[in-house]
Amino acid sequence: MRYVVTRLIHSAALLVGVSMLTFIFLRLAPGDFFTDLRLNPQVSAQTVADLRAQAGLDQPLPVTYVRWLKSVARGDLGLSLAYNARVAPLLWDRARNTLLLAGTAMLLAWLIAIVAGLSSAARPHGIADRLIGGGTSLLLGVPELVLALGLLALAARTGRFPTGGMVSLGFAKLNLTGKLKDVVLHAALPVAALVLGALPVLVRHVRASVLEVLQAPFIQAARAHGIPRRRVLFGYALPAAANPLASLFGLSVAALLSGSLLVEVVMGWPGMGPLLLEAILARDLYVVIGAVMFSAAFLVGGNLVADALLYTVDPRIRAR
Amino acid sequence: MTNDKGLRTKNRGLALILPLLLAATSSAQVEPRPQPVTATEEDLVTAGEVGRYGGGLVVAERTEPKTLNPVVSVDSTSREVIGRMTADLIHINRQTLKTEPALARSWSVSRDGRSYTLKLRRGLRFSDGHPLDADDVVFTFRAYLDEKVNSPQRDLLMVGGAPILVTKLDADTVRFDLAQPYAAAERLFDGLAILPRHLLERAYREGKLGDTWGLSTAPAEIAGLGPFRLKGYVPGQRLVLERNPYYWKLDRRGDRLPYLDEITFLFVASEDAQVMRFESGETDMVSRLSSDNFSVLERQRKERGYRLEDLGPGLEYNFLFFNQNDLGAKDLPQVAAKQAWFRDRRFRQAVSAAVDRAAIVRLVYHGRGAALWSPVTPGNRLWMDDELPHPSRSLDHARELLRSAGFTWKGDGALLDARGQAVEFTIVTSAGNTERNEMATLIENDLSQLGMTVHIVPIEFRALLDRLFRSYDYEACVLGLVSGDADPNPEMNVWLSSGGTHVWHVGESKPATPWEAEIDRLMKQQLTMLSYPRRKRLYDRVQALIAEQEPIVSLASPDILVGAKEGLGNFRAAVLDPYTLWNAEELFWESGGSGSTGGR
Amino acid sequence: MRNRSTIWLSIGVLALLHGAVLTAHFVAPYDFAAQDRDLPYAPPTRLHFIDARGRSHLRPFVYRSVEQPEGSGHYVEDSSRAYVVQFLVSSRSGGRRLFGVDEPASIFLLGTDAYGRDQFSRLVYGGRISLMAGLLAAALTLSLGLLAGASAGYCGGWLDGIIMRGAELFLALPWLYLLFAIRAFLPLHISPAQAFFLLISVIGLVGWARPARLVRGLVLSAKERTYVLAARSFGASGFYLLRRHILPQTLGVMLTQAAILVPQFILAEVTLSFLGLGVGEPVPSWGNMLATLQQYSVLASYWWMFLPGLALVPVFWIYHKLADSLHEETL
Repeated sequence: MRYVVTRLIHSAALLVGVSMLTFIFLRLAPGDFFTDLRLNPQVSAQTVADLRAQAGLDQPLPVTYVRWLKSVARGDLGLSLAYNARVAPLLWDRARNTLLLAGTAMLLAWLIAIVAGLSSAARPHGIADRLIGGGTSLLLGVPELVLALGLLALAARTGRFPTGGMVSLGFAKLNLTGKLKDVVLHAALPVAALVLGALPVLVRHVRASVLEVLQAPFIQAARAHGIPRRRVLFGYALPAAANPLASLFGLSVAALLSGSLLVEVVMGWPGMGPLLLEAILARDLYVVIGAVMFSAAFLVGGNLVADALLYTVDPRIRAR
Repeated sequence: MTNDKGLRTKNRGLALILPLLLAATSSAQVEPRPQPVTATEEDLVTAGEVGRYGGGLVVAERTEPKTLNPVVSVDSTSREVIGRMTADLIHINRQTLKTEPALARSWSVSRDGRSYTLKLRRGLRFSDGHPLDADDVVFTFRAYLDEKVNSPQRDLLMVGGAPILVTKLDADTVRFDLAQPYAAAERLFDGLAILPRHLLERAYREGKLGDTWGLSTAPAEIAGLGPFRLKGYVPGQRLVLERNPYYWKLDRRGDRLPYLDEITFLFVASEDAQVMRFESGETDMVSRLSSDNFSVLERQRKERGYRLEDLGPGLEYNFLFFNQNDLGAKDLPQVAAKQAWFRDRRFRQAVSAAVDRAAIVRLVYHGRGAALWSPVTPGNRLWMDDELPHPSRSLDHARELLRSAGFTWKGDGALLDARGQAVEFTIVTSAGNTERNEMATLIENDLSQLGMTVHIVPIEFRALLDRLFRSYDYEACVLGLVSGDADPNPEMNVWLSSGGTHVWHVGESKPATPWEAEIDRLMKQQLTMLSYPRRKRLYDRVQALIAEQEPIVSLASPDILVGAKEGLGNFRAAVLDPYTLWNAEELFWESGGSGSTGGR
Repeated sequence: MRNRSTIWLSIGVLALLHGAVLTAHFVAPYDFAAQDRDLPYAPPTRLHFIDARGRSHLRPFVYRSVEQPEGSGHYVEDSSRAYVVQFLVSSRSGGRRLFGVDEPASIFLLGTDAYGRDQFSRLVYGGRISLMAGLLAAALTLSLGLLAGASAGYCGGWLDGIIMRGAELFLALPWLYLLFAIRAFLPLHISPAQAFFLLISVIGLVGWARPARLVRGLVLSAKERTYVLAARSFGASGFYLLRRHILPQTLGVMLTQAAILVPQFILAEVTLSFLGLGVGEPVPSWGNMLATLQQYSVLASYWWMFLPGLALVPVFWIYHKLADSLHEETL
């Protein structure tokens, strides 16, 4: 119990640290939201300065930080200068889309990784192992960026997949299955990019962990008892390998989130990625902080879930 | 259930009844089609081809609009959307570049040019049915001019340092008084949307005008005089406008415009996404294509069934300029030392002589552009000085100029100044703009043939502007500006030495050089002159001075490249913003044409 | 045994690769900034062995490419004259180059870019930035990680707490986007060489957290080993223990980490350059060469611009093979 509390306190402190660092970085970045008005010959420098003062951008850093903290307490996370709307609903809409993408990719990637890793480990240096190993090596070498670009080019060339967005124009008029099919079609390529990007590392780790476990004496004992191979793999080896895999879970959440930000930007999925990028380029302070905090909270949450997972799947930890 | 107002049903009961209702009605129209009326003198009859009702238009936008509030909007997407929902008193016809009556039926100018009396059309209504009168006009201008509202349009309405005075003379006559005569003052009214007093006055009185009409506003709370009105908005995805049944323009047959039932603005991430959607047929129209994308689309044109148009150069001018700001207060010794070169006219002229403009047009714009020797482009037929010389590239002439300015060359070809310093400097560009970066790369190569060492540093746009206007920490820059109007007056701040966008030497307290003083004098003179031929002569002289002194080395201007599906009638794109939607009320789908009414 | 040979083979191939890029002024037929404005986006030059009359030759030759029709972007070969590929040619700027053809023909093995610059030459020169950035940044990160992790693991207590919390912080920030904002804040008056080192420092500094945690874990477990306790009871100082007993334990892991990190950092450089944050024009790096693919027109029309991306695949593959072998070797 005490462990859980300390972890929660640590996570909270981490989030506070992230928020402060982000604020500082944004302040260091030259220019602010109204800077691009300066280039417009029809707007005077005085008007720009007035707009700046009106939005409170000329206040010292601690004042702005405290104002943001108050907005967090209120729950609206401040005002977006670009959209002239509350940040919280703006973020939530986009966050939902990102979670959909990243969540689906996570699920698929882990499922495929476990199956592939197990098949590789079951017969090391066998045909399946070589094929899977070769495939993952190849994928490891392809940067996620190139992968996303390649898939996008595929969509553009073949015309079978939409080239961006989450839903088609006539979405509202479709029935439920139609809507489902529409979203699946739009999400197919971004999810593919994320899964293909995450697979190599996951497969290798599953393979390595399971291989290590398979060396253990209790596995040999189980085999000696005549328990069939498949049951040994799924029933004995996999649970034993759960410990390192659960730790990997936390790390893979982080990797997947940052990967999804990039994929969203390149492939046009309306999630947090494009919002964050646009907000940074536009210096939309509260949106940037909100989005960064969301990612950080997601990461921290992922780590906590990983720890919880560890606790539940590994009886050795529970016993301690 | 969602924040998508109006596009989705709000509860399950309605979801059951609605399909029955739809089945009962024979067509799926949003609004019943208007009945033809006989045109009175109050209606404006358009000159376009007579079209058919029906269909929707789908357009992809590169960025999302930020607001639907005309008072505070500055970004181009917001203004494009708002422009379809609102109307102004006097409008600039994008094709002829001349003013024509809009909400104002006629106007008269006083002899001294300081007073404009406008007569409104009678019987006009906002898109919610509420009638328009002079009080709305007075309220509108009060809102734009109010210092507390801080509208970016406010500066446009300051003439001679004082705001325009607006007086209501009667229910449909308004008078505008300027502090001094102002050339082409009627052009000021273009784009100033007339606001509905009945919806916005309370917010204005409470000081909250800037916060109203955000993107998530309910359609019932927004009203305008434009051809379309808001139907719905899905954040991050699209915004839909529907026909305004009270629109005041008619076609020659007496049918009330617009022809289209709706316009959908799709939000896509980038220009390339825009092109992909157009190519696949998801969108009906695409504007401001880059020349690369134009070539790609050109190859597929016949199979896909769309037409592409190259309208010739627009009003964008790209240029290279050097930092000539006073750096006294700033601690920038390296830049200050190099300013000895930048301030020498012969150095700038040599750079201009060495730049290969033909290569820029050929390699950056794939031939779809025009080389520039002055900031006024060939797209500006009314104001470009045709007499200006267009010297071709000459490295010898450049070397001669440098020699006469005291530069010498080392054995390995490196250029040294009079003090023996090697000529080396950086050019900053906006990281996001591929074309200007390509221009900078070509310039770097050209100048290396003169022995100059040039580094190109792309930096993020806002950071670039911060350097140009606040810290002055840069040496040279490749930048581009788009004139908002053909008329030189909106560009005053670029050419006046005290102007805020006098990029190479921002906001001088007094002109630093005699030729800048001369430009100041000429520009101020043409500002208050009402005769176009005389203004043109003065402005020609300004262009000649700029071409001679090269405070900016003009490079090139891209052609305006647009595309639209076959079967879109009255598609007449222009070189002034908004290039393809300026006549949205006249657009229609010809019989057999394929419109995107949603669902594919 | 097989493992050992894999390790040495991998190292050998990598050395060859790095050697080739470091001697780019010899290996590449053209200078990386040399523009041929008449041949923008020209496809790769075809090497012929059989001439127009059907005779075959031992030495390959090329034809000159001309744009036909003018300004269309379409190129045809002018088969009126054959230009034989020559080796060890003397280059215009003095010195020698591995291969080339006589003017006015050109040998663009991987085609040209928007300014008519030879992509193959730029690939070789660009390797200097991308590959070396990976190596140097990995070295920086590992040194920092070693320092931080060893201090945290050995000293424990509040130092450990601070370092580990700092590591978590570093891992939690979305660096890519924050770097966007910071890059603009950096000084302009830097030569390409300085920009390169700055880039490496940024990549290297950001990545210390993960190796630090690894090292910390290793140091923690090594600290409790019996021989270390024994040495300590004999009065050995902390530094001696670290240097002699504990850190050598980390060698295997460090080497493996190096082989994993280098490709990651190469990728980081590629991504940063792709997003415009890396070395500037006209200096090539594999990242900024890929950056042109962000334009749809390039993606759709000029397939040879993809090749720098494919160059990464074999490099990564070799590094991963090396990492695997090292891992097995030091288990």
